[in-house]
Amino acid sequence: MKHFSLRKLLLGCGALALFILAWKLVTDAKLVSPIFFPGPERTYAALVKGLSGGAMLSQTLETVQRMLLGWLLASFVGVFLGALIGVSRRARAFIAPTLELLRPLPASAMIPIAIAFLGFSDNMVLVVIAFGALWPMLLATIHGFAAMEPRLYEVSAVLGLSRAQVIWKLALPSAMPMILASLRLGLTISLILAVVGEMLASRQGLGQSILAASRSFRSPDLFAGIVILGAIGLVGSRLLSFAERRLLRWQAVNR
Amino acid sequence: MVVTQLSTRPRQGEDNSTPTSGEARIRIRDVTLSYGSLQIIGGISLDIAPGETISVIGPSGCGKTTLLRMLAGLARPTSGSVELDGSVLGGPNRSIAIVFQDYGKALLPWRTAAGNVSLALEARGCPGAERPAIIRELLEKIGLGRHADKYPAEMSGGMQQRLQIARCLAQEPKVLLMDEPFGALDAMTRQALQDEVLGLVATTGATMVFVTHDLEEAIYLGDRIICLQPNPGRVGRVVDVRLARPRDQLLTREDHEFLRLRRELYDLIKDDHQ
Ligand SMILES: Nc1ncnc2c1ncn2[C@@H]1O[C@H](COP(=O)(O)OP(=O)(O)OP(=O)(O)O)[C@@H](O)[C@H]1O
Ligand SMILES: [Mg+2]
Repeated sequence: MKHFSLRKLLLGCGALALFILAWKLVTDAKLVSPIFFPGPERTYAALVKGLSGGAMLSQTLETVQRMLLGWLLASFVGVFLGALIGVSRRARAFIAPTLELLRPLPASAMIPIAIAFLGFSDNMVLVVIAFGALWPMLLATIHGFAAMEPRLYEVSAVLGLSRAQVIWKLALPSAMPMILASLRLGLTISLILAVVGEMLASRQGLGQSILAASRSFRSPDLFAGIVILGAIGLVGSRLLSFAERRLLRWQAVNR
Repeated sequence: MVVTQLSTRPRQGEDNSTPTSGEARIRIRDVTLSYGSLQIIGGISLDIAPGETISVIGPSGCGKTTLLRMLAGLARPTSGSVELDGSVLGGPNRSIAIVFQDYGKALLPWRTAAGNVSLALEARGCPGAERPAIIRELLEKIGLGRHADKYPAEMSGGMQQRLQIARCLAQEPKVLLMDEPFGALDAMTRQALQDEVLGLVATTGATMVFVTHDLEEAIYLGDRIICLQPNPGRVGRVVDVRLARPRDQLLTREDHEFLRLRRELYDLIKDDHQ
């Protein structure tokens, strides 16, 4: 199994190398003006300079912090509300239609409302992130609870488990595969909204710095910022996959 | 697993269709159950004494599972009532354990064998420090001592079914309801489990209702055999089993009485299927 994952890693690196090569060929051939589209070398140089010089590093930390705060907020609220709604069939029937109506609203539609209430503040960005990333967690928890094996509810009744015990010991673990998958999705949404929020509200962070770089035609800085964003997304999703595999070990043996 | 405890057995031989004993563990009174206009159970009355083992047989779809679910408090009778120790059963009760037919669905796949047994202990508020010893003893008793750390998905069907039984025992029930628990097992495992269950029931003094398709199993385990008839489900015959305990897979099955009962039940079932 180790062997297999090593091969997958090599394949992934190979694809990445190919992508960078194509990037280099396109920029070397000057298919697009270098003012807008820097090659990999210039981007790399800007990356090293930005991260060692300090400005980009602090902006990265700012964005990561924003993303994590919003994501944590969304996760707690989403799973908590989802559990409250999901545990009762009546609550599900009552609230589900409203949720279905709200869910397709793009999170960006929330931004004007959030600005109206909170102004151009860090809290506004946080609220936008939390609201946007809330949905996958909320719906996954509700659906996970609803999809719990009915036999297990009977087992809990016969054993005399309290309602809190049913939620904590049966429903949550049984919904865990869905919830964990939604946490990963939520993290991606959090990153996107952190960047968009920073751009709109001019808060410190990668979003703002990317926008500034683009406005002043500093395209290597712009691309360096994008590379960092990609790396944040990749690391976050990798960490969560790892946690997922650890937590769902019981499921891996099923296959 | 040879346990001699004949004293917990009820006396046999009285007129059993209308029991008069006032100390029934379970009393089923004129119970009917309908889904919509369709009557599934059509008036069943039965008294089950403490420590007694009742086998229930009958053709598929005659309502055996439905009857068991009513005894567990999981299904509500449309009319009539089920009493436990003299008070009407309003819903599921910790002192009535049920082993479901579909063991795969009744276990928590994210908990190990030990964790699944632990659930019953957690439910009855057993202190955390005492649980490991109890769990180990129960798993040992049911032959899963070396598999405590396995997840259900890593266990065979027979092991999963044993685990479900262990969890029911952790409940320390007065009544043990079993719905064709050994249905998917090979003959040898099945006989070993029959003896394990008989031993456990004898040591704990639990009352057992055991649903099975297998006539020999019904005779081997039971003090009485209830033959259900279909459409709607009702008691066709009640047959006394006068075989000595503890029972023995070879001796009991060669006993004249055993063979006579097998013949009698066979003829009865044959009539039901015509
Ligand atoms: N929820 C339900 N709604 C409607 N009918 C039902 C329901 N549950 C069971 N039945 C019907 O009740 C009858 C008895 O079912 P039950 O499961 O008790 O039979 P059984 O004796 O256990 O059969 P088997 O030996 O095959 O397990 C069947 O005819 C079945 O179709
Ligand atoms: Mg059945």
